[in-house]
Amino acid sequence: MSDLGQYLVTEQAHLAMSNKRTVSGKYFAVNGKNVRMAVKTEWRDYDVIVVGSGGAGSQAAHAAAEEGARVLVVSKDPIGCSDTKISEGIATVRESGAEGDTEDALSENLRVAGGDLPVEAITNAFAEDSKQAYDRYRMLGLRPSIDTKRDTPQALPLPMGGHNKRRSVGHKNSGVAFSHANWNAVVQSDQIEYLEDAWFLELVTEDVADAEGAPQKRIVGGLLYDAARGLLVAVRAPSVVIAAGGLSTLYFPKTDTMRGNTGDSYAVAARAGADLVDMEQVQFLPFCLASPPAYEGLLCGEPMTASFLGVLRDKAGKVILDGVYLRTRAECSAAIMRAVEAGRGSPNGGAYLDMTANKQKPLSGPYFMRFLQGSLPSAYRNARQALGKVAAKCEEPWEVRPSAHYMMGGIRVDENGRSVGGAGAGEVANGITGLYAAGQAMGGVFGANRLGSTSLTEGAVFGARAGKAAAKGAAETTTKIDDAAFAPLIKQTAKCFGQKGTIAAAALKRELQHDAWDYIGPVRTAERIEKIDAKIKEWSGKLDQVAIPAYGTWNQAFIEFAELRNMLETAKLVTVAARERDGSLGGHVRLDCGEISAFSQPYSTIVNQDESGVPQVFRVERPRTPIKRLIAYKAQENWRKVQIKMLRMLPSAMQDKQLEKRYQAIMGVGGPAPEIMPGGVDGAIAEATKA
Amino acid sequence: MKVDIVTRRDGEEAVVAFEYEKRELREKPMALDVLLQAQATSMPDLAFRYGCRARNCGVCTIDINGKPRIACRSRVREGDRLAPMATLPVLADLVVRRDGIARQMHGRLANGAQGNDLNVDAPDVYHDLTACIECYACLDGCPMHARNFAGGLPGSMPDGEAQPDPAQGYKWGNPFSLLKLQRIRVDPLTTEAGQNAALANAIELGLDACVDCAGCKCGVGIDLMGQVVGQLLEAASGKLE
Repeated sequence: MSDLGQYLVTEQAHLAMSNKRTVSGKYFAVNGKNVRMAVKTEWRDYDVIVVGSGGAGSQAAHAAAEEGARVLVVSKDPIGCSDTKISEGIATVRESGAEGDTEDALSENLRVAGGDLPVEAITNAFAEDSKQAYDRYRMLGLRPSIDTKRDTPQALPLPMGGHNKRRSVGHKNSGVAFSHANWNAVVQSDQIEYLEDAWFLELVTEDVADAEGAPQKRIVGGLLYDAARGLLVAVRAPSVVIAAGGLSTLYFPKTDTMRGNTGDSYAVAARAGADLVDMEQVQFLPFCLASPPAYEGLLCGEPMTASFLGVLRDKAGKVILDGVYLRTRAECSAAIMRAVEAGRGSPNGGAYLDMTANKQKPLSGPYFMRFLQGSLPSAYRNARQALGKVAAKCEEPWEVRPSAHYMMGGIRVDENGRSVGGAGAGEVANGITGLYAAGQAMGGVFGANRLGSTSLTEGAVFGARAGKAAAKGAAETTTKIDDAAFAPLIKQTAKCFGQKGTIAAAALKRELQHDAWDYIGPVRTAERIEKIDAKIKEWSGKLDQVAIPAYGTWNQAFIEFAELRNMLETAKLVTVAARERDGSLGGHVRLDCGEISAFSQPYSTIVNQDESGVPQVFRVERPRTPIKRLIAYKAQENWRKVQIKMLRMLPSAMQDKQLEKRYQAIMGVGGPAPEIMPGGVDGAIAEATKA
Repeated sequence: MKVDIVTRRDGEEAVVAFEYEKRELREKPMALDVLLQAQATSMPDLAFRYGCRARNCGVCTIDINGKPRIACRSRVREGDRLAPMATLPVLADLVVRRDGIARQMHGRLANGAQGNDLNVDAPDVYHDLTACIECYACLDGCPMHARNFAGGLPGSMPDGEAQPDPAQGYKWGNPFSLLKLQRIRVDPLTTEAGQNAALANAIELGLDACVDCAGCKCGVGIDLMGQVVGQLLEAASGKLE
């Protein structure tokens, strides 16, 4: 009898749309006596499992269903409640704003911004599909304003900084407009079933031999905890699409994203043996709120909105960074964190963004206020509510601190979201058969930096691509799935319910969040990386001392435990990649090393781990953008810095007149301020031109 | 500041008087701040939902002193009582099961459009309705939703009556499901057949319950009576039993 002989069928599940499901109660022997375990296991069969129900997950499920696959969407938050829903709702749509916007232009744009780390086949796919992926959203009810002259969605009036064409489309109700479409896609379909309040715990794989007899891993399904019904669910499926978002909760409360970003995507992929790419590249936004607690972490500005005279000051009022509006996010974050380390930080571990000089100018001051309020309206609203009226008028400095915003690295995939491994851009034959990733879960699209308005498009393009590929892959799979692969995982997981211990997972989680910020946050050093490495080992060793009650339904302690485990796993991946990249680049700032020159050979870091969880890291080289072009970018950046220096040396009245002219050039006498995308390169214009 | 938190674990209910320690002298904490501090201190396994902390994601709705509020943007005062939303079944502590609402909409969301030109502007009302963040505050006091629970609440079902199974999708609708249907009706790409189907769905979900109802209230300020319920009732006049 197989291991599964012990699983006794005790009752049938009473479920909507039931198919081949049984619920079993697990018995195991303790001191020779059979003891009933609290949590039961239900079995299900699908062609494709999609983990996550945000932009990438919903679009993946929708695309897989269109291919005829039977799909299970697993979502720990309610369907559609994701970073997509809370985003600014601006998407990159090629050709929306300008004639002659070619695929090549957009694809190269992404790679140059990303420090040449992005994979060309992936940025090409992004450029090729951005229009049709967007139209899929419109089929589901997304309704942009229409440019009736050009018969296209209405693009924002200016190219978002970093983009070389106008191609960003904004939406009323921001990300909520996208989430209605995503929700509809999942809820409506006959092909899609979904479990919300369900934590995807583990990929289940099997070792097989490929056509040439080489060893390979393939996906046979996944194990999840359905908290609403208090069950484990073992799902047999040949394809799994991971679209479970990012890792910013590793830095909570210093983040402006959804709570659910506990690194689940990366942790489950790594435990299954998949490659991850550019894991050191976490995007931090420098100007977020540090207090009051209810607003902690939320965005209040970008380098660009500090405008011409904005400076950063320490607690003594000393300027620690000038010319803020031309600086990169990383430079601003580093300046803030350096002051904090030197004991010159603000009370809540940040610094002061002082924009009062902009405001005080009699001629240009009113323009500045309009620019600040209009460019990033939701951020300004956060600041006004959190800091009060006087600060909102820029009559006093704002206390600011960096926040984690987006993970640019992730699961290493090809342009169809298929897991890859090996040298260079990687090959499917060296990846895990049946594993797919899309959205923030995947890497290779943005590298070291992300253009504005690209994340929603990333989810749409690669969600659809991965969903389609996953459905096709499932249709081509003929091998029967052996339940034996699930048995050890089920046993191990079921045992956690009722685990005796003295530690609260929630408490360990907070310790990790605190130290992740200090050691692998916006600034890093070799010493700190080693420190957290040791801590991660220590905490991981305590997981079996976490107290978990035995009951099945919404067991918060188990949920905290499962998420803590993923956060530890993800922190380890970031740590290993951060150690390997011994220089500053994009989202990775090393205080103990220099800047990595754009003229040097670009490389990505690849991390994976063996069965016992020991990580290994290696580099893969990337092709570099021709030197001529890089020099042109560099010259442009230097020219801007010279200009601002000259401006600052002018006598006050002349300076005011000059500034008035500049504001008028940007937004006219009474026109709207240019829109800026949080996290987009337009928020820190020097970032796209970093050379 | 003392705040009562209603907890329920494994079927046992208890009210915990939690002492919130202000982190800043003049702090006026939100309900979510209280829950986060409780979890960080004396109640590590406290179960509650939250997401964005900025009133966008719609998942943190709880009852404060008996009324549904979005926890991340609702200030609390001494003696306030934080409880799970009364309108949906409790899973643990402040977490309610929500999917019975989504599942009732399965198969009801098509607009009938086939290969239409997508480059059409939607009317303002379409965008007004799209502002819904699905917080479910509108379920409060809804007689249509109450039909799922013998006219009352999930926590006060008459003896012997079984709770409806959320996994099947609730039979009777609510302001949110009506909003979703009305949104289809005002979508310029919806065909006439699609509009009719949306209305028929609203009637099937119990629109007649709205006839004598004093009205519902939206958690984010959408004019539910004017832009949803009133419109549907007008379109359905003569079709309601």
